[in-house]
Amino acid sequence: MKKILKKIRLPIKIIKTQIREHFYYGFRLVASMMTTIARCGILLILYWYVYRLNNGVINGTTFLFAAWSIFFYFAFLTLQLRTIAKLIMQDVQSGNVEILFSKPISYLSYRMWWQVGSGIYYFLVTTTLGVIALAFLIGFPTTMKIGVFIPTLILTFFCGCILSLFIYSIVGLFSFWVEDINPIYWIVDKMIMILGGSFLPIALFPALMYKISLFSPFGAANMVTHTVYESWRTNWYQLVGVQLFWIILLGLITYFMFKKAKEKVSVNGG
Amino acid sequence: MEDKYIMKELKFSLYAIKKNIQNSAELRTSFLMNVVGMAINNISFIILWGFFVKSVGIIGGWTVADIVGLQGFVALCFGIVFSAGDGIRRLADYAASGSFDRFMLSPKNLLVRIATASFGTSALGDMVFGIVCLVIYASLLHASILQILLMVLLVFIAVVVFFSAAVVIYSTTFYFTDASGTVGGFFELFLSPALFHGGAFQGVMRFIFTFLVPSLLIGTLPVEIVRDLSFKKLLMVSVLAIIWFLLSIKLFYRAVRKYESTNFMTFGN
Repeated sequence: MKKILKKIRLPIKIIKTQIREHFYYGFRLVASMMTTIARCGILLILYWYVYRLNNGVINGTTFLFAAWSIFFYFAFLTLQLRTIAKLIMQDVQSGNVEILFSKPISYLSYRMWWQVGSGIYYFLVTTTLGVIALAFLIGFPTTMKIGVFIPTLILTFFCGCILSLFIYSIVGLFSFWVEDINPIYWIVDKMIMILGGSFLPIALFPALMYKISLFSPFGAANMVTHTVYESWRTNWYQLVGVQLFWIILLGLITYFMFKKAKEKVSVNGG
Repeated sequence: MEDKYIMKELKFSLYAIKKNIQNSAELRTSFLMNVVGMAINNISFIILWGFFVKSVGIIGGWTVADIVGLQGFVALCFGIVFSAGDGIRRLADYAASGSFDRFMLSPKNLLVRIATASFGTSALGDMVFGIVCLVIYASLLHASILQILLMVLLVFIAVVVFFSAAVVIYSTTFYFTDASGTVGGFFELFLSPALFHGGAFQGVMRFIFTFLVPSLLIGTLPVEIVRDLSFKKLLMVSVLAIIWFLLSIKLFYRAVRKYESTNFMTFGN
């Protein structure tokens, strides 16, 4: 028990410090909300109009499902887990990584907890306000009222967080070999954006794209967008299984890449 | 006298841009990766909105070809403004670190000096992507000479609007203590709608994103002007571009007055 408490002391401390910092700078929250409104809010209004033009149904899906699916994507985005790639690159480019490597903590887990801490405050506030606004304006679909919804939503959400951290950590770790990881970051980020169901909800995907979305790590990272559809009730264990598969595979890749990266660093002190 | 001054400033800005490009091109691999990476990155928007049109059908007369044109206009504007004038995007960092002082002390035009202080390599990828998209759009549209000339003119007008909007948004830096994130949020509010399917903007939304936030002026309206040969819309966009340009200059110098130096003795950094 003591060992476990010691293990979680650092993550809790990091998250607490981050929340306190972000709470202090209120304008950052405004910025985060503004970004969500710019992307998600305007998109929802446009979709509302488009669904109305199509008599309320497109590809067998109504606006209610599409709206919640899009909202879940953008709410997940406010966690800002993808920034871990850029932070790792900055650490490598600035040499800060040498200092962090010499600390008695794992660099990668420190960076992951840091990332979770820096987005959690915005995520909680934005998601809470968003859920209230959507519930008030359009209501909940029946699929969100069944018993299995909340537990599986939480499960797939956590799996998505871990998977996203692994994907973007791998991108970040490339900076030990590549001068500038931005082009890799853009491509991976856009793959997640397309296959995750951002501007185009997964219900409107063509058949092939839908399959790629289900079985690729990019789509699996945002499986949370699938939870509002009818198929989730029967498919959820398969989709969470896909997530777990990618978590194990990408976790191993992250581990070995990090090991190789550590061998490349020479701490000279000074 | 005035002409001589403008020419001098123009010469200086071209010299600064040239030096910035030479500086970026020194790291060849990174330079090329950034340009190619950004061009690939932009294709994702065409894929997304292309599938949207396929699923939803034609809305407001907008086809996949128009989406290509829209992405072309927006990417080209973004590329031109943020390659040559990347310094505008860094205004929040300059003000926070105190390095804004060196611009204030420069005998050159303040806005030109700031804009040309940095070069956005990846924005070159946006430029390449934008030009390719507009060429494809022109061929899909079977564009006449008049339409091609209109496209060139509209790129110029859209660049003026984009630059003005960027100046207005990044000038708000001086009103906040921790401006970087906030200003980024404002910019997102301007850019995101510009990338969305133009035909879906109708009624109140079209009014807001034309007159209050100039998002539709840099992509959606230029596409509609070229497609429909609408000179009424061209006149409206031109007038709005002039208003936004004059407003941006005025707001920028007013905002600069709010600046308080936080110099960390890093003069010249």
